[in-house]
Amino acid sequence: MDLTVQCSCPRLQTGVEPGSSRTGPGSGGTRVTGGSEPAHATWPLPLRQRREGRFAGLDNGNLPTETETGTERQRDRGGSVLGTSTRLTRTQRADMALKRLNRIVQLSHTVSLTRPLHGSGCGLQLGAATQTEAPMESPRAVFRTSESEPASHGEQHIGQFYTIPPSQVKTIFPHGLPYRFQQQIKTFNEACLMVRKPALELIGYLKKADPAHPSVRYVLYGERGTGKSLSLCHTLHHCSLQDWLILHVPDAHLWVKNCKELMASSYHRARFDQPIEASVWLKNFRVTNERFLKEIKTSQKYIWSKREFTDEGRPLGEIVDQGVTRVKNASDAVGVVLKELKAQARPGSYRLVVSVDGVNALWGRTTLRKEDRSLIDPSELTLVHNLRKMMKNDWCGGAVIATVTQTGSVFTPSSAYLPQELLGKEGFDFLDPFLPVLVPAYSEKEFESSYQYYRDRRWIQHHTVDSLKSTLCVSLAPPAGHTEEGKKELLFLSNRNPAALERLCAFL
Amino acid sequence: MAASIAKFLRPWSPGVLPARWTRYNPYYLEPEPSKEVYRIPVTELTDEQKAAQELKAVRPIKAAPPGLTSSVFSDPTVSKFVNMMMEDGDKVLARSIITQTFESMKRKQVEKYHKAPATEKEGIECNPYTIFHQALENCKPIIGLISIQKGGKYYQVPTPLTDSRRRFLAMKWLITECRDNKHRRTHMYEKLSQELLAAFMNEGNVIKRKHDMHKMAEANRAFAHYRWW
Repeated sequence: MDLTVQCSCPRLQTGVEPGSSRTGPGSGGTRVTGGSEPAHATWPLPLRQRREGRFAGLDNGNLPTETETGTERQRDRGGSVLGTSTRLTRTQRADMALKRLNRIVQLSHTVSLTRPLHGSGCGLQLGAATQTEAPMESPRAVFRTSESEPASHGEQHIGQFYTIPPSQVKTIFPHGLPYRFQQQIKTFNEACLMVRKPALELIGYLKKADPAHPSVRYVLYGERGTGKSLSLCHTLHHCSLQDWLILHVPDAHLWVKNCKELMASSYHRARFDQPIEASVWLKNFRVTNERFLKEIKTSQKYIWSKREFTDEGRPLGEIVDQGVTRVKNASDAVGVVLKELKAQARPGSYRLVVSVDGVNALWGRTTLRKEDRSLIDPSELTLVHNLRKMMKNDWCGGAVIATVTQTGSVFTPSSAYLPQELLGKEGFDFLDPFLPVLVPAYSEKEFESSYQYYRDRRWIQHHTVDSLKSTLCVSLAPPAGHTEEGKKELLFLSNRNPAALERLCAFL
Repeated sequence: MAASIAKFLRPWSPGVLPARWTRYNPYYLEPEPSKEVYRIPVTELTDEQKAAQELKAVRPIKAAPPGLTSSVFSDPTVSKFVNMMMEDGDKVLARSIITQTFESMKRKQVEKYHKAPATEKEGIECNPYTIFHQALENCKPIIGLISIQKGGKYYQVPTPLTDSRRRFLAMKWLITECRDNKHRRTHMYEKLSQELLAAFMNEGNVIKRKHDMHKMAEANRAFAHYRWW
């Protein structure tokens, strides 16, 4: 990274006019008075002036004076010092380092006074090519990024939180977000997701995938609480902003357990319908994909009952309305919608993403029983049967993203997390050429970022002082959650697992 | 004579050894959970601390109770409250209720904080532990009533209370109020969080009960001399 970026990152060079073309905070900050150096009008200096300035006052073999080297010494983004032919003593280097430190402290103070929360506001549209995050801004701002388009998230954003606007949350995720995350959105009054490597990987694959090829199946796997569902949501956010059709099943486990109303399917004698689950899903599907439902037309006539039918060529929204209003036909309506979408997904038309959270439920066991108390196989459920057809890779123009989770699954041991263990033989063979994406626990940087985010949102509150003193000393003693000891303890107790950290910080 | 004294000084163990026991020979020392004490370098120890360290080498130490931790987040008042809420020895359940209570209190307050304008933000207390301690403080009665028999009748006589008794009464009232006087379909943590937040604001049924106690004590002022200690 040897680009000299003209951004708000404050420079160490002293003697520079504050009126120069810097836009960020701290530009009016203090400067260490130099000697008789010329006041440079532009920043960075033209090469000739830099060279002249550096060697000004230098005799052959004499070391330059302290102030001169302090002012003339430059560092560009790559950290290489231009012209290191001048050799300095250890004390001179230490003094320069001290001045740098002072400058950083002063500048971070001014930064924190002006914009304490959102740093890096300067032109982040360039993508991965330029390093736009300024490391010398207030340490609290480093965990956020103002880049709210997942398509432009890159390696440099890993560990940072980006905000999803509330309008998008309502349309894209009417049912997609995990419950605890929904609570967090309500409490913090904002929806912030962390940019992490698995999601970036998936988004990269989706960008490069050829719509003419059969849809690739991606399977996110990982231990409990590592962030599979939220990585999926991040990818879906990206797909939605790229105008894909999103077919999201928030939790397939809910379809194979605890069904209050199970009725025999009218379409197929041996199968069972789940009207409530199907109608709820259709309602949420309609919210996400309003505009597609008006454009896509049915390819054949569907007869619901003696007097109800849907003609060929009608918009798909009518099928969805039929399923929502006539709850009895909801499961069949879901089947029709899935069939139509799959048949009409072609490289020229819309791009379809089928995302299922907990796909191992489709090939596992159910807790539902028939009237003669025998267990129902998942293939005997209409919803599961139709969804399985979507998971095949015999269609083009889209992608299938799935998560395998043990949380919420039935009859699986809690230590199982690998796709082979959770899908079983049948499921694994069905999904077989798939791309596995491991979602690990937080790295050091991600943990730090998450910790800073919780502190910023006033989520970590614990005080060490006792009750009688707390009202007096609350401003003097740092809360235990904010001390190093507290952070080490959180690190130890959560083992950097995102869900564990969230649950720990919830009551601290 | 020396032999008889030595007989009393040797460590006494009961015939059957339970894992935890509340009655110990006074010979036994208390366990020290905090890490700071052990981090003080040997040169900086005061004489008392040095003597205490030397004593630990020769005296046995009581078993640490299950609620005692060296965590920076441990709070003795909260542990006491958990113990008082516990039923049938199910401390896991009691502790989970308390943690859910703190979480729900914090959620309500943090939500209020983030929605409030900048001027009001300072006034909103988000720390559930501060709220808990302050609410408990607000619920503690200053003066109590004690039943004394005189001339065949029992009188409610006002009396000063020790700190531990006051704390006990405050906690007991909070728990019984939440258990008895709330709608049965609400969860305990919801009831507790509502009651604690109300007590923090000096409102609610527990504060009312404390005031009733004070009024009774004021009304029965005449019987104060029935107490002879």
